[in-house]
Amino acid sequence: MSIENEIRKFIEENFILEGNDHLGHEDSLLENGIIDSTGVLELVAFLEESYRFKIKDEELVPENLDSIKNISNFVKGKIRDLTAEPQHCSTATVN
Amino acid sequence: MRAFNQKILEIDCDTESKKICEFMKRTVLKDFRKKGVVVGLSGGIDSALTAALSVKAFGKERVLGVILPEKESSPESEILARQLANWLGIKTETVPITPILQSLGVYQRREAIVRKYFPEFAEGWKYKLAISKDTLEKEGLTFFHLVAIDRDGASHKERLPLNDYLEMVAATEMKQRTRMIQLYFYAEKSNCIVAGTTNKSELLQGFFVKYGDGGVDMEPIAHLYKMQVFQLSEFLGVPQEIVKRTPSPDTWSAGVSDEEFYFRIPYDLLDLLLYAHEEQVPLDGVSGVLNIPPDKILRFYKDFDGKNKASWHLRTMPPNLIDQVRM
Repeated sequence: MSIENEIRKFIEENFILEGNDHLGHEDSLLENGIIDSTGVLELVAFLEESYRFKIKDEELVPENLDSIKNISNFVKGKIRDLTAEPQHCSTATVN
Repeated sequence: MRAFNQKILEIDCDTESKKICEFMKRTVLKDFRKKGVVVGLSGGIDSALTAALSVKAFGKERVLGVILPEKESSPESEILARQLANWLGIKTETVPITPILQSLGVYQRREAIVRKYFPEFAEGWKYKLAISKDTLEKEGLTFFHLVAIDRDGASHKERLPLNDYLEMVAATEMKQRTRMIQLYFYAEKSNCIVAGTTNKSELLQGFFVKYGDGGVDMEPIAHLYKMQVFQLSEFLGVPQEIVKRTPSPDTWSAGVSDEEFYFRIPYDLLDLLLYAHEEQVPLDGVSGVLNIPPDKILRFYKDFDGKNKASWHLRTMPPNLIDQVRM
């Protein structure tokens, strides 16, 4: 499963989307009321556990975490930056 | 409607105090058919104002101040609460709630989380939660730091992950809920009601605890912005030590202001922005009066909207399927 799909799956399973509207790749999760500040922490916990990296305080910004596209790009960047081969649960591929 | 300006929140204190007193009398004597009010005295300005208005409305004999210190309260809180009660001439009850909080595991749970991130945490250390970033300066997401201060006064900081943050908050809120239990005991045994002390700035942003300090019978100052609480308190002569005291939740062994813990900006600016947002003042007008760029103001509004939305359940009855209550 690609990173985008893993992230989409997590968001759809954990944050109810009103009216079954399709969540766009670039839709703002915060502005659309899909996640709140607690949800951000939940997302951070998922990313750190799934991809085995730590997210720094200064990385907790909307351009990294506020849409599936942003999250996906952020995760791919973090994975590339890791010096060691990451040991992570997912079978995601960096495209 | 008056044009937005720096003094837009100034109130006619004489008229306002009379209006609130009439509301309190009508609510307590007519609607509730009770004899008076019980007010939890924290040593802060909100409870001071509520108590002062209560005395003005009912007379000092019908107002009981309840002081509820615990081991992590600032010692100043109890001192100022007593000073207020003496000034008003009201009776008080003092009920230390440390033993109750200990039996509930409040301190143990919180300290276990602190030790998880700071294993050297020991007697003499203090700690608090502090909210992330300056909303006006940077676009950022909300999270909290656990801040531990060691015996030498050095500060150590770690971002709390979700589960530990939730448990820390849940344990902390047992303090406010314990106080609610005590206030209701004294109110019910004397045929009185519990007067709340939440102001509008707190109400709009969910800065109170469900069934804690939000569990009350009447909210006489919930329509006043914090700066209006200050105005009215000065007008009624609340002791200056209380008026000048930095507002604080007083729930952490390390001192933390309301600004550092939750609001991010000082009350004088917060209230004007809250008002402007609520009244939909044109953005360029707000920017011109406050000398803050529009993009920064929009960042504040986003933060405000997030807190307001997340705290909707604090301001309403629990969701239910009741269509109509029939007798």
